Amino acid sequence: MSTHHMGPAEIDSWRARMPRAFGPTPRGRVLRVLAGVAFLTWLIGTLWMFDVTLTRLLNGFSGLMVIIRLMVPPSPGEMWVEILQGIAESLAMAFLGTFISALIAVPLGFLGARNVMTNTLFRFSLRRIFDGFRGVDQLIWALAYVRAVGLGPLAGVLAIATADIAVLAKIYAEAIENAERKQAEGIAAAGGSPTLVMRFGILPQVAPIMLGHALYFFESNTRSATILGVVGAGGIGLQIAERIRVRYWDEVAFIIILMVLTVAAIDWLSGKVRRRLIGAR
Amino acid sequence: MLEIEGLTRRFGSVKAVDGVSLSVPAGQMVGVIGRSGAGKSTLLRLINRLTEPTEGRILFEGRDVTKLRGKDLRDWRTGCAMIFQQFNLVQRLDVLTNVLIGRLNHRHGVLAKLGSLLCQFSPEERAMALSTLERFDLLSTALQRSDTLSGGQQQRVAICRALMQQPRIILADEPIASLDPRNARTVMDALAQVNKRDGITVLVNLHHLDTAREYCTRVVAMQQGRVVFDGAPSELNAARITQIYGISEAEFQAEAAAAVKAAPDFDLPRQSALA
Repeated sequence: MSTHHMGPAEIDSWRARMPRAFGPTPRGRVLRVLAGVAFLTWLIGTLWMFDVTLTRLLNGFSGLMVIIRLMVPPSPGEMWVEILQGIAESLAMAFLGTFISALIAVPLGFLGARNVMTNTLFRFSLRRIFDGFRGVDQLIWALAYVRAVGLGPLAGVLAIATADIAVLAKIYAEAIENAERKQAEGIAAAGGSPTLVMRFGILPQVAPIMLGHALYFFESNTRSATILGVVGAGGIGLQIAERIRVRYWDEVAFIIILMVLTVAAIDWLSGKVRRRLIGAR
Repeated sequence: MLEIEGLTRRFGSVKAVDGVSLSVPAGQMVGVIGRSGAGKSTLLRLINRLTEPTEGRILFEGRDVTKLRGKDLRDWRTGCAMIFQQFNLVQRLDVLTNVLIGRLNHRHGVLAKLGSLLCQFSPEERAMALSTLERFDLLSTALQRSDTLSGGQQQRVAICRALMQQPRIILADEPIASLDPRNARTVMDALAQVNKRDGITVLVNLHHLDTAREYCTRVVAMQQGRVVFDGAPSELNAARITQIYGISEAEFQAEAAAAVKAAPDFDLPRQSALA
């Protein structure tokens, strides 16, 4: 029987035969400890740099409790029509922005996919441009567009669209690269042009994935559309910012509850749509 | 002694296993054969309690294991190790860790359990795993990721994992159905060796009658969830097969092989990141 319990001598002989099976080599162990020390130094260093202390955290926490106490009970105030309009505007911004970016990202995704765009230099440059755009946050785009097209929801829509095109295009490109070649080959063998191969061989495979991602982005953009309002790019954010400034925390709480309900509703709805579309293969 | 009494499992209106009674003395090597959907896999899964029985009892050495829960159930599972058609190794872990997984339920105390989470195994456990791997000619692969191994090697790693559980029974569900003939032979040899040398009872589902005849001391044939033959392999000749299944042995084998390849739960669908 081989699965018997072993004496120390037998264990040592195995250790001598295959030391790596008993843990890292001394050198690996030293490297591990060094990496651990470096990580801890970095962690403590950043805490020290930002002067994060327990007293400050506790003070902040009690301050937060005061705000939460002021939030109860939530109240719509007198401007509840404006609040509803603001939420509708945020929702519309998120929808329009996501729709535009998802639409533009489809052709860009195809151009960025290795199995479609064989010109490496072009594909590589395009991917780097995507990366560059991804590096700039929605909020920065919003600030820029507010200067360019003025205050209001248009700036928000453009900010959402610009920031998401690159991210969606990258995700779409990866989905296209993971598509099965056999199906595309079937179209080519039937005499289809490269465009038709994309249309009938690849698109049906990736369309549910694309749509699913677009729906996720719609959800998350509904949340971030709140922030865009703070910098003047339309939506409910402006109203939240104003109420915080004058410390109407009960009204802020009311808006937050409405936002949570809205996002939950979208989440539920898009989950249903997604299951419908992806399930019906 | 493993005793099965009137074991039944319904899936909706279908009886996958229908009133099976068997008694398997310790140390036997039993081949379970049958056409696809005959209930062979369900029978083995019922014994390991991966599937719950609808009716009937399973007794091991006089103890009813059908009602076990929690820790007792896990101990029972450790005692009747399972070998799967698709090996069910953790692909991204190395071979050694996969084998050490067989020891997880042998570790007692809070500290040992915490250690398990951090992949901390004792030198003794490691030495045990290495000697088990050496026994099946796999020592050189110990530190490789298990998905770099061939199917036959992976199945033998799964046998090593099973042995580390120090089981009384090994349940092998179509262990060679995904392997080429040469690898199938090394895996069947390994199972036979475990049966003879370690005295572990082996129940093995097979679709190849020749394999069953060559390796098993007893053959159980199933049809629509029922046991329709139970005896020495020599009694299960071609005429008997035709009598039981209404088709020739060659047809039986071809059909079973095709069914095993088409089995849906082994061919995982390609999933998108969203699904």
